[in-house]
Amino acid sequence: MNNPQFLLPNAVMDLVLQLLFTGIGIGAVYALVALGFVLIFRATNVVNFAQGEFSMVAAYLMVVFAVDLGWPYWLSFLLSLAGMALLGAIFNLGVYYPLRHRSFLPVIIATIGASILLANSVLAIYGPQPQVLEGWFETPGIQLGPVYLDSQYLLIIAVTIVMVAFNYWFFEHTMLGKKLQATSQDKEMASLLGISVSTMIMITFIYSAVLGGLAGILVAPVLFVSIQMGSTIALKAFAATIIGGFGDVAGAIIGGLALGIIETFGAAYISVPYKDGFAFLVLVLFLVFRPQGIFGERVAEKA
Amino acid sequence: MPLLEIRDLIVRYGEIEALRGVSVSVDEGQVVTLLGANGAGKSTTLRAISGLSKPAAGDILFDGQSIAGLRPEAIVRLGISHVPEGRRVFPGLSVKENIMLGASNRRIAKSALSREADAMFDLFPDIRPFSNALGWTLSGGQLQMVAVARGLMAKPRLLLLDEPSLGLAPVIVQAVFRIISEIRRHTTVLLVEQNARMGLSVADHGYVLETGRIVLGGKPDELWGNEAIRAAYLGGHAKVSA
Repeated sequence: MNNPQFLLPNAVMDLVLQLLFTGIGIGAVYALVALGFVLIFRATNVVNFAQGEFSMVAAYLMVVFAVDLGWPYWLSFLLSLAGMALLGAIFNLGVYYPLRHRSFLPVIIATIGASILLANSVLAIYGPQPQVLEGWFETPGIQLGPVYLDSQYLLIIAVTIVMVAFNYWFFEHTMLGKKLQATSQDKEMASLLGISVSTMIMITFIYSAVLGGLAGILVAPVLFVSIQMGSTIALKAFAATIIGGFGDVAGAIIGGLALGIIETFGAAYISVPYKDGFAFLVLVLFLVFRPQGIFGERVAEKA
Repeated sequence: MPLLEIRDLIVRYGEIEALRGVSVSVDEGQVVTLLGANGAGKSTTLRAISGLSKPAAGDILFDGQSIAGLRPEAIVRLGISHVPEGRRVFPGLSVKENIMLGASNRRIAKSALSREADAMFDLFPDIRPFSNALGWTLSGGQLQMVAVARGLMAKPRLLLLDEPSLGLAPVIVQAVFRIISEIRRHTTVLLVEQNARMGLSVADHGYVLETGRIVLGGKPDELWGNEAIRAAYLGGHAKVSA
């Protein structure tokens, strides 16, 4: 590798680092939403098609509190997350719980219905014009050598690292986390041990709604706050879970990051209009050549 | 007063009547075995006691109090622990985590819980080396040990064991029954078995179930001496052709 031909010119290397940073930033958002998908899927065996709307609703809550009411950003942030926890609980009681003894199909259709209801309720209130949400920090970013680190992307990455660490600690080192895992693996057995299955599922929905909401609040200043942001993010996050291995927590995070990096590089080196296309091209390639995903099928579902 | 008394229990699965008036009584300190062929209603009886199946009629009294129709979470808190058919060890959790979760019916600090789980390995030394192994990696015999250990973590007054010998090699079956005779020193056991010889060897009392009804009950040696028991095992009163 001493041949200078194989060394990247500095300018190219700088661009690669810059794209890598942006890709990880946007990938972190997909990872958070994908994590919400996976947690609900594991607890209920149902894909929640309203997971993306959680992000959208949270972004609009931020617009209500921080922009319309002009409250401090941190307070708006906490109130929005509290609102998402409430929405997660209502979603569980209104959409999942009444159908919990039915097959997965009615539940999936109910989540699609809920997603349409959420999107159109917001549309009715705010209209179709996208809203603008400022980032958390006044400083737009910092220059670190050749790479410009956008402060909002830094925040996204930091929060995602914290949430992934929290998620690991919660599921691997607390009894509540173990009870949630037990419930997702065998609900009947969990109930025989005295675990309240309905409480565990309630916690899962609240946690997933907060995760999705967190992603929406973080990404809102990067994108516009629009009715469509939910479905766009959800599709990418869904692709991320398939790439990572459906139902796998680590897979959702790796898949989300990989997707963010791939589409950022694709947009920079191949074509900007086809940016979204790259994510789905990768998805199709995975479905054809490795449908179980990166981490798929490590654990047999039933012993 | 018996610890557990089942009176004229009827359980239906849709149109099918799985139990058609079953009455069983278990005294404190006893091991009682339910025998019967496949589909006779043995597992359904245990499922009704632990709350997994709702009785259509009849009553289940535990310590004199009706528990029929309560949710499984409530019943295990009263002190009935059910080790169901098929072990049902959580595949994605470690052996120790599975065992620790057995105490979910009690309020207990995590450190104390960890100590209790470690102490459980004294009764089940064979699974101690697999403490950190995930459930799905274990063999049938190991899974049975984990399932029973997890059931005991509830500190039950009554332990329901469903087919603990099913699918196990004879030497492992021996080990499982040695453990049951350990357990009976401090816990009442209601055991469901297809293996009549093993099932009756540890029992104080036995019942024979046939298509949802109790057809016979008595002391193990009485049952063992009874020709009808063998007929019951072969799925009814059909004559066995030599």
